[in-house]
Amino acid sequence: MAATDTLPATTGDETVVRLGGAQGGWFRQVGWRHLVGLLALAFSLFPILFVVSAAVNPLGTLSSSELVPTGASFENFRKLFVDTAFPTWFLNSMVIGLLAAALSMFVSACAAFAFSRYRFRGRRAGLLGILLVQMFPQFLLIVALYIMFAYVSDLWPAVGFNTRTGLLLLYLGGALGTNTWLMKGFFDTIPKDLDESAKVDGATHAQVFFGLILPLVTPILAVTGLLGFISAVNEFLIASVFLTDDDAKTAAVGLYGLVSEERNNNFGVFAAGALVLAVPTVALFQFLQRYIVGGLTAGAVKG
Amino acid sequence: MAEVILDRVNKQYENGFHAVKDLDLDIADGEFLVLVGPSGCGKSTALRMVAGLEDITSGTLKIGDRVVNTLSPRDRDIAMVFQSYALYPHMTVADNISYGLKIRRMEKAEIDRRVKKAAEMLELGALLDRRPKQLSGGQRQRVAMGRAIVREPQVFLMDEPLSNLDAKLRVQMRAEIAQVQHDLNVTTIYVTHDQTEAMTMGDRVALMKAGVLQQVGNPQFLYDNPDNIFVAGFIGSPPMNMALAQVERDGDDLVVVLGRSRLPLPAAARSERPGLDAYAGRQVAVGIRSEDMEDARLVRGADERSRLRATVSLIEALGSQIMVHFLLDAPRVVTEDTKLLDKDAHAEEAPKHDATKFVASFAPRSRVRAGDEVEVVVDTERMHFFDPTTGDAIR
Repeated sequence: MAATDTLPATTGDETVVRLGGAQGGWFRQVGWRHLVGLLALAFSLFPILFVVSAAVNPLGTLSSSELVPTGASFENFRKLFVDTAFPTWFLNSMVIGLLAAALSMFVSACAAFAFSRYRFRGRRAGLLGILLVQMFPQFLLIVALYIMFAYVSDLWPAVGFNTRTGLLLLYLGGALGTNTWLMKGFFDTIPKDLDESAKVDGATHAQVFFGLILPLVTPILAVTGLLGFISAVNEFLIASVFLTDDDAKTAAVGLYGLVSEERNNNFGVFAAGALVLAVPTVALFQFLQRYIVGGLTAGAVKG
Repeated sequence: MAEVILDRVNKQYENGFHAVKDLDLDIADGEFLVLVGPSGCGKSTALRMVAGLEDITSGTLKIGDRVVNTLSPRDRDIAMVFQSYALYPHMTVADNISYGLKIRRMEKAEIDRRVKKAAEMLELGALLDRRPKQLSGGQRQRVAMGRAIVREPQVFLMDEPLSNLDAKLRVQMRAEIAQVQHDLNVTTIYVTHDQTEAMTMGDRVALMKAGVLQQVGNPQFLYDNPDNIFVAGFIGSPPMNMALAQVERDGDDLVVVLGRSRLPLPAAARSERPGLDAYAGRQVAVGIRSEDMEDARLVRGADERSRLRATVSLIEALGSQIMVHFLLDAPRVVTEDTKLLDKDAHAEEAPKHDATKFVASFAPRSRVRAGDEVEVVVDTERMHFFDPTTGDAIR
């Protein structure tokens, strides 16, 4: 809207227009926001700088006192890709992360649609049950899952220990609850008139879901997809128990292996790995950002 | 096109709420039927049952020759216009209008032809590439209409389609919808809570209260012959004036004692309502339409006795007529119906129980002013009588 573009100094973003007036007034109205912004930026960039610094530090130590260490090089990256199985780990992480994100997005959307649109026996209990299950920490699960998968590995090794599919299944189950709740809340904001109108127009349940509702909930799909990807890529606990073969490890487990044995020695390589791992997440975020905008439903009904 | 027949249709929700009770309606092919009533009277539920958006608890619903009780909305060959318009926000106007046709896999050429025709009819041609967000309320309403029209369905269902528009636009769209319906000659069920819409648009009006059909008929018939106090109070603006009166015998004649006045009942009115004799010596609710009253000074040779005397409390000059408000010294009619009507009109409780607000419509030649003592001639032949306990018309 044109009106907000020309309004100065109310939002505190970069497009602020400086108006004439007393010099002190500018700082009081606008300047301090920049100061706060810079502080927040420094605070959040510090750890990243630290990791970057460690990644280019040839000594493989975290206790360097310089931002740019002496003899800075990409030696750690070379070691990472040549001396370790990192490429495999990275691929594992990406496959599991993307699949977990996509599948959990779809499964949760289906569940959320049902919970939001239909009234059936057990709906309330189901919703509460999902919420309740989420409240237990993952630690509690590990033992039970371990025993279950010990049997599964014997009977059906394709989804047992050291397989991507097995881990994927676990992640899907884990993400279902939160995502369903998140999405249900969003689905509830889409007027039910739209479904009914489409039904009268002749749409089937599937056509309503895919053709009408899904396009309208893209922001929440993007959010859950992103969260699903990040959590699957970063997940360590379950992965470390289930993946023991070097080839089956995800990047998180593999990188941990680098630093768990000899303290401090491999931190350069570890930091390099962490940086590489951050690239796809940032890229995905950049890609999905455009979908994470609200207001898509505006104009559906009188407002 | 088809007739729609509801035969003892009921809707009872799982929580026990009985929304629609034994609804019988025969809607003829091509007819424009308006379902009207205060909010919560079950009119929308009835419409949604016809649409297939609500299950029918019991009874039979026929569209054309088919019993459609268990058919899904898509198989009923109906089109519906929602109060909120329910336009698909991510689609253009053209896509919105053609959505129902595309989903039915109609040929592209035929879709284009129909969309074009509907757009012409509703003057949407220039807007076809816009999104709903970029349209005004009236335009959105037209798109919703267009979406229904292109389907060329057997029945149009409209659920308060005009209540989100401002007053002026509402009047305009009211005429347009009536025109479109007339041109297409499609059976239409139109739900509204606005009695003006009901009166002006419907071939017939069906008035509901608390899930029960009160009366159905052509609008003028309902206006002239209300079956009960509720119908009398709901149909017409301003609503029918009603007060408690005493029916007394005066020799062979009947006299209606209304406040201080004793209004003689003409023989014609009495022969039309033979039931009134039985109320001699008892209380009745008398209803008088505002246009059946006139300034006594303007009526030559008016009966001296057929007059009410009161003090004018408020004047509303409308140009073509003057609405004269006065307080009549007769007790108010208070039944469940009048309470419901008051609630629906958001009216406040009248201050005194033994006086009733009346509104008369005088010719603009009348020079009455607020505070004047006025004599009001009543057209006694056109008075309405109701049993004050049951609320039914006395005939």
